[in-house]
Amino acid sequence: MSDAAKPNPAGSGDVPPAKKADESAAQKAAGSPQPAPAGTPATAAPAPAPEPKPKVPFSPVLLKHINEPNSHTLAHYAARGGYETARGHVGVTPPGDLIKLIDDSGLRGRGGAGFPTGKKWSFLAKGTGKPIYLAVNGDESEPGTFKDRYILERDPHQLVEGVILTCYAIGSKHAFIYLRGEFILGFQRLEAAVQEAKAKGYVGKKIFGQEVDLTITVVRGAGAYICGEETGMLSSIEGGRGYPKIKPPFPAVSGLFGSPTIVNNVETISAVTHIVKNGVAWHKQWGTEKSPGFKIFCLSGAVKKPGVYEVPLGITMREMIDTYGGGMKDGRTLKAVIPGGLSAPVLTPEMVDKCTLDYESLAALGSMLGSGGITVLDQQVDMISAIYNTMRFYHHDSCGQCTPCREGTGWLEKVAHRFHHNEGHQGDVELLGDIAKNMRGRTICVLADAAAMPMQSYLQHFKQDFVAKVKETAFVEKQRTYRDEITPTAKTITATGAGPSALDVGSNGSKQR
Amino acid sequence: MSASQQTPTRRTEFSPERMAKFHEYAEEYPNKRSALMMVLRLAEEEFGSITDEAMEITANLCNVAVSHVQGMVTFYTHFKRPFHGKHRFMVCATLMCALENNTDAALDQIKAKLGIKPGQRTHDGLFSCEKVECLADCDQPPVVQCDNEHFCSMKGPALDKYLDALLQSEGKSAAEYAAKAPVTMDTRVPTLPAHYNFAGETDTGARKSDDKDPYFKVGEGPLNTKVPGPLATPLTVPVADGVNGKGTVSNGRTGHDSAGGAFNGNSGNGSHGKNGAKHV
Repeated sequence: MSDAAKPNPAGSGDVPPAKKADESAAQKAAGSPQPAPAGTPATAAPAPAPEPKPKVPFSPVLLKHINEPNSHTLAHYAARGGYETARGHVGVTPPGDLIKLIDDSGLRGRGGAGFPTGKKWSFLAKGTGKPIYLAVNGDESEPGTFKDRYILERDPHQLVEGVILTCYAIGSKHAFIYLRGEFILGFQRLEAAVQEAKAKGYVGKKIFGQEVDLTITVVRGAGAYICGEETGMLSSIEGGRGYPKIKPPFPAVSGLFGSPTIVNNVETISAVTHIVKNGVAWHKQWGTEKSPGFKIFCLSGAVKKPGVYEVPLGITMREMIDTYGGGMKDGRTLKAVIPGGLSAPVLTPEMVDKCTLDYESLAALGSMLGSGGITVLDQQVDMISAIYNTMRFYHHDSCGQCTPCREGTGWLEKVAHRFHHNEGHQGDVELLGDIAKNMRGRTICVLADAAAMPMQSYLQHFKQDFVAKVKETAFVEKQRTYRDEITPTAKTITATGAGPSALDVGSNGSKQR
Repeated sequence: MSASQQTPTRRTEFSPERMAKFHEYAEEYPNKRSALMMVLRLAEEEFGSITDEAMEITANLCNVAVSHVQGMVTFYTHFKRPFHGKHRFMVCATLMCALENNTDAALDQIKAKLGIKPGQRTHDGLFSCEKVECLADCDQPPVVQCDNEHFCSMKGPALDKYLDALLQSEGKSAAEYAAKAPVTMDTRVPTLPAHYNFAGETDTGARKSDDKDPYFKVGEGPLNTKVPGPLATPLTVPVADGVNGKGTVSNGRTGHDSAGGAFNGNSGNGSHGKNGAKHV
């Protein structure tokens, strides 16, 4: 508690020099009583940074207090120096300096796209005469992701403080925090946190006694994946179906109610609190050149210790699975890893060995860091059942605005369903690839891409699994003959035997629609 | 929408404390429409599920059409609707929960105690069960939500204990549900409230796909809608070479472009638009 308060120079300079960062690093290394849970190996810590990236020990920042009792209350948050950063900056530091600070820190959006936060803030349309809004995205609907849940349920005040700082920086008087409807406890705790802050005068009229007003509205969604898309979320806040809108105009120009709006993830805004508190150099001591800082990863699937782990960006995927996750469950073999939520293309074991957890490394491997939801699939998992389940999800959650997505996700599900029941038709493998290819980049939002990308990656890496489930029937044989007649060059795929499905999911609910 | 058509027995407001909450929202949000998500939650609390009456009150309060509210309620899957049971079990069926048959384990236990499969409701309307998509707690499968509560690792003894407690609180037993057949939930889009029907209509139940659409009867109702007759020429009749003046073959499907074509755009529109409901 005390070491968290010490490096905070309340109200003093907003861009601390490198020296201050070294101090805080030294204090962290010396003062933290217990090391990070299964943390990085401790090296000689406070080196004066001559090498490109000295390995600095890291202890969780956003999740530091989640296991303490009453960590969601204002009393607990205030005891560890809560709201002192906001008090020191609101009405004191020029807003432009705060934007520059976040820009310099290299903080990138934690919601999935990884867009630089400071840059996003600087795109805000100025002088429009309209109010400016901040919309915080807590929809967290990407399967495999559950990081925001921990912030909202166990430490919501750091988010509220981040909202205060962000709103002050971008000149907004009204912030909306949109939570998914399924976050029942998270909604209650966040609303209570906002009320507590209001009672203390941190939110409301003339916050911290300065000439700054701020309203924070917590909105609860009701179960729609598409509301995690930024413009879909704005549509939902406006009181409509969560239909995404065409970009441009981007929300920073015309967003909520036609006004300039900044949309950021819960984790991003929470990180803002700590970056403003500790400075740019403190943030940049972790991570890689292009992906600085730390991030929460959500580990699920066939590992011994699934859960949330906050780590510096740039650690290896193997370290995440073997050290943090405790290795594979029951001595099973790794088959594939979904690295960034269900929509991220899968990685094969060879790719996992090469992979580090930062935006660039995963992009180079043809996948993405996304929202940080890592799911480990073991040898028992039937990849066909997995892709069928995935496609059912996207078909269910397509909003239905754009034809390629509405129809394409349905087709992908339908054809994957045939494979799931060992009845793939001749040519279905090509059909899946064709549908996926024609869905990408042809819709308002990226849900179509999110459905097509995993399909394409499964087809690329696990084609044999599909081919093994093609069933020759008289009808199919006839179709194939006909096709060979009209296109004699077309190659036919030999079908092999089809095994039983290890993962029988969604077989009885799928016919409901 | 229009107050004059309301029957006097219908309520127009929530209870006083929820109305106070509504006025708070109305003050906080830039306009009343934008408070819709939260007002629908109030309606859900007030009525137990979002009934026709709840939708109508919400529409009046938020200054939108009832059809808009209905559009919201059918789009967002987390709202409780009249066809759901009093205790609504939502079991996550997305990949992370479905791995290692966790979802099926939870569903089997619910089936054993309550006799309901996903998509079904017990005969007395007390319990219903459905598969839903990701509930965002993927490290502790299977995830189940019921009665506005969230449960992780909800299988085995934990789920059995919860089910037993629920059954006891309702004074029911697993044997009763094993004996009586459950009903399938009718998830189809319901009709609008009865007083939105045209004069003389009594249809208040869920519309069936083969019903005649009551809103487009020729010569009936206040709109006196005219339905265009059938197409003069079937769409597939080929048009002779050179008819469109460019010397190319047209099969008549180019619609408005083929000015001299065998059919005109109007009849095509009429056939698809106004009678569309019949083909659903």
